[in-house]
Amino acid sequence: MKAVYAAGVGMTRFGRRDEVSLVDMMADVGLQAIDDAGLGEQPVDMVYVGNMASGLFNHQVSVASALVDRLNLMPAAADRVENGPASGGSAIKNGFLAVASGYADVVLVVGGEKMREVIGPKATDVVACMTHMEAEYVYGVTLPAMAGMFTRLYMEKYGVTREHLSMVAVKNHKNGTLNPYAHIQMEISLFGIYGHPQSHVTNPVVADPIHLYDCCPVSDGAAAVLLVSEEMAKKLDAKPVLVAGVGQATDTHTLQERAEPTDLKAVRIASEKAFDLAGIKPKDIDVAELHDAFTILEIAESEHAGFFKKGEGAKALVEGKTQIGGSLPINPSGGLKARGHPVGATGVAQAVELVWQLRGEAGDRQVKKAKNGFSLNFGGFGNNVVSLVLRRV
Amino acid sequence: MKTVTAFRCKKCGLVMYPGHLRCLKCNNREFEKIEPEGAAKLLTYTVIEQLPWGIDERGRIIGVVEFENGVKAMGVVQAEEVSMGQKLQAAWEPVRYIAGEDVYGFTFYPA
Repeated sequence: MKAVYAAGVGMTRFGRRDEVSLVDMMADVGLQAIDDAGLGEQPVDMVYVGNMASGLFNHQVSVASALVDRLNLMPAAADRVENGPASGGSAIKNGFLAVASGYADVVLVVGGEKMREVIGPKATDVVACMTHMEAEYVYGVTLPAMAGMFTRLYMEKYGVTREHLSMVAVKNHKNGTLNPYAHIQMEISLFGIYGHPQSHVTNPVVADPIHLYDCCPVSDGAAAVLLVSEEMAKKLDAKPVLVAGVGQATDTHTLQERAEPTDLKAVRIASEKAFDLAGIKPKDIDVAELHDAFTILEIAESEHAGFFKKGEGAKALVEGKTQIGGSLPINPSGGLKARGHPVGATGVAQAVELVWQLRGEAGDRQVKKAKNGFSLNFGGFGNNVVSLVLRRV
Repeated sequence: MKTVTAFRCKKCGLVMYPGHLRCLKCNNREFEKIEPEGAAKLLTYTVIEQLPWGIDERGRIIGVVEFENGVKAMGVVQAEEVSMGQKLQAAWEPVRYIAGEDVYGFTFYPA
């Protein structure tokens, strides 16, 4: 395989973006990534767009074709890649394979989603469409409900508490205030969302035991990465970051058919594959962006990716290891919890954050001397997971 | 009572619901069709306060159960008090209304 570099990145502010269309957000970040890499007038060979549900959210399909037109990237090959909330990660994986195989020298990967075009209960329904139609969807199950059932099992087995979950939210909200692109720029306190006698009012139940502050917001946003070959990276006046490892793995559609439902097998395997390709171990990672769509996931993923032993993720959190300045900062961007979760954009936004961290351009949330970064993009309820390892060169 | 069709692998005996064209354990393609039998044990549950568009309720309880013959399935739980491991009895009732029609599914009541 040939070496693949992330030569340029771009990102919009995440949040409620009524003033701009999905394709315009994606065009904006695409151009940012091209300019950041200093590509100039040189052609882009291929475009991969990570997007989960533009047809349902925005009544628009073929968004990759719309994007190349808007940016005048014709005749570049252009595809939309759909892998639920891991669409962005899958788009990067496809771009990586195109460059690694030698088929393409320059691939633009854009992730974007505009979810706030529909009202809350409709967004909940669209997202619930990723569950099994006959065995899950018909019952009114939602993704927070899947997380609720998983959380209850995890609490029972590993002693994770609601206080632990709330601590993930507090940490990621604090990090989000340092990220100008984050959807939610608001510091919260453990007392306010958990300890206060009326915290059930400020932090109501969404799907017991999951509360409001255990859930990511519903967001609009886009992010982009320009992937290039080594020859092209040498030509460009940019600070390329090596895409050292990519891994992807799947698991059963329904949670009920997993022999051990608290074992996130796809997270384990996708992470192992990414580490193997990069030739490093979890202990070599300096900064991680995990898929905290629900607070339990940051804890569970930190264990399944191999950073902490099974059942010890909450302990690491309490000890401050996952804060900026800790031994393994997790989600310095604010994570999905505070940066927001425009589903198709998230996997790409994670990679953008890692590129900034590895270049030393992350401002007040900079993790000192970060060399190896890891991201994990969790599709479905853990049934299709993509991991990346990025390295400063 | 008609409920769902589950599948038992004719080679390794693995019980599956929903169905697959190849066994999740041994890849065999032949299955015996079975129905969930006996009491159901609640494996996990949640109380959903924010339901999706199309379900005008709050506080719907959804859980995953295991029947005595090994079939695992999701369903709506109708009970005043819910606890892990609780014994439940399955019924087949409308669980959702889509495009003018009732959609049937499992509802579980205290046994």
